[in-house]
Amino acid sequence: MSRWEVFKQDAPGKPHQAVGSVHATDARHALINAAHVFVRRPAAASLWVAHASAIFSRTRQELAAQELSTVDRVDPAATAAPGAPLEPYEVFRKSSNRRSMTFADHVGTVEASSAAHALELALAEPTADTALAWWIVPTAAIAASDPADAPAWFEPARDKLYKQQSQYGSGPTPTVRRADP
Amino acid sequence: MDRTEDDAALAEFEARIAAGEKIEPGDWMPDAYRHQLIRMIGQHAHSEIVGMLPEGAWIGSAPSLRRKLILVAKVQDEAGHGQYLYHAAETLGASREEMTEALLAGRAKYSSVFNYPTLTWADVGMIGWLVDGAAIRNQLMLAQCSYGPYSRAMVRICSEETFHHKQGREMIVLYASGTPSQRQMAQDALDRWWWPSLMMLGPHDADSPNTPQLVRWGIKTKTNDEVRREFVNEHVPELQAAGLTIPDPAMERDEVTGDWRHGPIDWDEFWSVVKGNGPCNAERIAARTKAHEEGRWVRDALAAFEAGRSAAGARA
Repeated sequence: MSRWEVFKQDAPGKPHQAVGSVHATDARHALINAAHVFVRRPAAASLWVAHASAIFSRTRQELAAQELSTVDRVDPAATAAPGAPLEPYEVFRKSSNRRSMTFADHVGTVEASSAAHALELALAEPTADTALAWWIVPTAAIAASDPADAPAWFEPARDKLYKQQSQYGSGPTPTVRRADP
Repeated sequence: MDRTEDDAALAEFEARIAAGEKIEPGDWMPDAYRHQLIRMIGQHAHSEIVGMLPEGAWIGSAPSLRRKLILVAKVQDEAGHGQYLYHAAETLGASREEMTEALLAGRAKYSSVFNYPTLTWADVGMIGWLVDGAAIRNQLMLAQCSYGPYSRAMVRICSEETFHHKQGREMIVLYASGTPSQRQMAQDALDRWWWPSLMMLGPHDADSPNTPQLVRWGIKTKTNDEVRREFVNEHVPELQAAGLTIPDPAMERDEVTGDWRHGPIDWDEFWSVVKGNGPCNAERIAARTKAHEEGRWVRDALAAFEAGRSAAGARA
């Protein structure tokens, strides 16, 4: 078994967000494990998984170090191969150090000749300066949950109200009712 | 990296943490930071997994369907929390297989508190109220941790675990206001779990020589004694309001600071349990080993399935 990264979408129209990983033998197995591990609470509309080896990852610090080192070293992966066919890549970005339970958000799709090329294109976007970390994943490497499975996978969590802290009052107060001894 | 580059990298690293930035996988970090985190996150993950055992033992004896649903969901959550944490450790280069092996071989620790037995159903409620209450205090602190993946796992765990705490409190408050025998059951459970809950937050600051560096690197954002004080201040008034007696004759409120001050903790007991001599250490590891061995055929079948697919792919 190997590691698959999991992306959860809380509601239609919201971005898929990196939530963590599961171990699995293949994409289908990874999706089933992801549903068990990351959808024990409501607010899931779709899951994506991608094998950890398919993810091209760079932090802001790594990019800064790369810029410094290009003086004497050209990163071969960073150069778009001329004439190479373009393929779609999904771009995920972390933009804030705020308290959060998710890592990078899906921000779009680019056509590129390599993951590094896709990152160059993403870095050219006007809002790229705020990014703290990037993940680039070939679209072909992502497996999505089947919309037909959504009722069985995502809806039961909505009815399990006993998992909601709001079901349990705010605790004892000095006026708590007690039976006489 | 030579010495000067290392010093410069360390200075930049500490400046980033001081500025409230998160360190992410791929970023430079000192080896000691990586190793401390792997050790801490691994212990934390193992605690979630071993922590399923004391309460899981009561699933079949839950007194109502509602209580059974709650307990199943809670134990299931602990399994999920273990998964979140193993994931966070993996981002630092640890492997899940190595971590599991270290737990079963006794090289890795888990929380001392799970080496105590659950003697009655009220222990299930008291674990929710006290053990989860202490864990949440610790985890709210760790949610501020400088390492991104650990911090995010903590935020997700706290958001789910608050229900664990509240269901336990609800159950105990109910028993504490019930029949004399129910009240006695709640009091007995408090007598058993109070001190282990204080101990699980770790040795006093004076006996934690690594704490200053852990705090400077943002691995911990509060000391053990600070977290313990928050736990005591939150729980003593609520337990008393429920009509229960804290099993600590020295417990008193400091009129100046408003803090509740507990009596001396029996650290000999704590270290004895940590070193493997608690009431249930052997039983817990035996249960994990049995589960691991009995799951071997599933792992073998998955590996065979994966190998078969690769072979089929190679032929195609």
